[in-house]
Amino acid sequence: MKAIRVQHTGGPEVMELEEVPVRPPKPAEAVVKVSVAGVNAADGYFRDGRFRTPLPFIPGQEGAGVVTAVGDQAKTVKVGDRVAWSGVLGSYAEFVMSPEEHLVPVPEAISDEQAAAAMVHGLTAHYLVNDAHKLKRGETALVHAAAGGVGLLLVQMARAIGARVIGTVSSEEKAQLAREAGADEVIVFTRQDFEPEVKRLTDGKGVEVVYDGVGKATFEKNLNVMRLRGMLVLYGMSSGSVLPVDPARLLEKGSLYMARTTLAHFTAAREELLARTSALFGMIAEGKLKVRIAITYPLADAGLAHRDMEARKIGGKLLLIP
Amino acid sequence: MELVELPVPQAKANEAVVKLAASGVNFVDVYYREGRYKAPLPFVPGQEGAGVVSAIGAEVKSVKVGDRVAWSGLLGSYAEYEAVPADRLVPIPKGVSDQQAAATMLQGMTAQYLSYSTYPLKKGETALVHAAAGGVGLLLVQMAHNIGARVIATVSTEEKARLAREAGADEVILYTQADFDTETKRLTDGEGVDVVYDSVGKTTFEKGLNVLRPRGMMVLFGGSSGAAPPFDPIVLLQKGSIYLTRPTLVNYIATREELVTRSSAVFAMITAGKLKLRIDHTYPLAEAQRSHRELEARQTTGKLLLIP
Repeated sequence: MKAIRVQHTGGPEVMELEEVPVRPPKPAEAVVKVSVAGVNAADGYFRDGRFRTPLPFIPGQEGAGVVTAVGDQAKTVKVGDRVAWSGVLGSYAEFVMSPEEHLVPVPEAISDEQAAAAMVHGLTAHYLVNDAHKLKRGETALVHAAAGGVGLLLVQMARAIGARVIGTVSSEEKAQLAREAGADEVIVFTRQDFEPEVKRLTDGKGVEVVYDGVGKATFEKNLNVMRLRGMLVLYGMSSGSVLPVDPARLLEKGSLYMARTTLAHFTAAREELLARTSALFGMIAEGKLKVRIAITYPLADAGLAHRDMEARKIGGKLLLIP
Repeated sequence: MELVELPVPQAKANEAVVKLAASGVNFVDVYYREGRYKAPLPFVPGQEGAGVVSAIGAEVKSVKVGDRVAWSGLLGSYAEYEAVPADRLVPIPKGVSDQQAAATMLQGMTAQYLSYSTYPLKKGETALVHAAAGGVGLLLVQMAHNIGARVIATVSTEEKARLAREAGADEVILYTQADFDTETKRLTDGEGVDVVYDSVGKTTFEKGLNVLRPRGMMVLFGGSSGAAPPFDPIVLLQKGSIYLTRPTLVNYIATREELVTRSSAVFAMITAGKLKLRIDHTYPLAEAQRSHRELEARQTTGKLLLIP
């Protein structure tokens, strides 16, 4: 099969299209013919070595496709099933070998593109508003990178709950996307400091929750825009890792909470993965959640896709088609 | 700390003067005395008390002369009289004595906000409570037990272990003899606890993160062993997408409404017989020094009160 392989970590150029043998599935695995693979920030971290995995490896952890073979102990999937997944390294390929418990069924109303595009970002947005901080009607949420892959879905879900959403974005074009997704207020942070703006927009009270996938660049100011006992949910670090935090800061800023979350901990149990995915696919099928697919690239252009992702100019999801 | 003669304070328009019946002794008083927390000098220490209103300012409507009241969070209670903003005073119901009221304002409301608001404990959950035989600890163990949570307690001595068990702890770890990290994991079949309530800080914080279940919460509400050090937030991810909060009482009684709701909830537990207070040490006001020495030496259990 054709696959992107990383022989040594580095920039986008280390991803090369190669011919790789397809191995038979282990007893509890399925082989899936990948129709679409999703591109995520984490793929860049694996590629450049910030996240570690043995070399060489096939990047990508998300996709959708059709089961072509199953191991002799696989019970939940059969050949011909349409499935999607996240958290399975090796998705930038024509075929992926996945433990069966990572595969979820894709309903008829959902296309492969939609399914692949929704797994990581959609499930992330879903756990952020429902579990990491259970957002309630009438609360105000600050969503950084509101026109990003997670951001656009998070804004829509927060609005559907009835929360007020303040989004931050880097450009006018992205501000437009965030508004279309339902953001009540949008701050273009390249022109305006978000700290005084958020305070002004909340009459000095601050927000109940900050959803932050940016990390280093926004951390300190986040602490100043939260109301008493507010919650900071860090779920990514697109600007770099947050520096060590003195717990006393949380006290000084008003008995704040913070969490540093990742999707795997919110889909660890098979029942939770299935419940979350079916809620997500349900919202898409009913037209309540729009998944914005920005660009689809041929698999061979994975390097270009990473360059575009890391330039942070594009709002929405990037997909690879093997 | 010296006993001196001072004029009885006059009530400003929004204040009431209270004749103190009992004043609570807390670790925070030590911090003010030492200068770790700053107050303009000279000052009257003490942050908690109960007594009877003896005079009110012109604009005061919520209390009248003769009312039994309690308060916390204002400096000046190591005295016979204190002038207190009326909106910080809460009424003491009949079934609660002045000493009980003075003993619960800080520690009782702290235990209440920790178990009902910071992390609202649910029946069937498991909580790890450090310093379980301390002032807040004994109250927190009782509240957690009454909610129906399983309580794992850490203490330093056999005597304190007995107190923690009496308060309702299901499991008690003598951290001087066993590693609480290993013990807690064993007691939870490796799954970890839903919440850690930690007032110890420096010596327990990092290990505490190891005993939380995924998505559990570390509630760091004090630093009796020193302040918990700065930490890399990625540790919260590595330990299972866990939460950290560093709460303090003032942020949980910030509005008059919340103050009254919270104090009433604690008083109701006392009158219902669901919360036993240990008032083991009462000192005449003149012996404030001795009360601090004994508190700092950790020779005491339960609550210390000064009686003016």
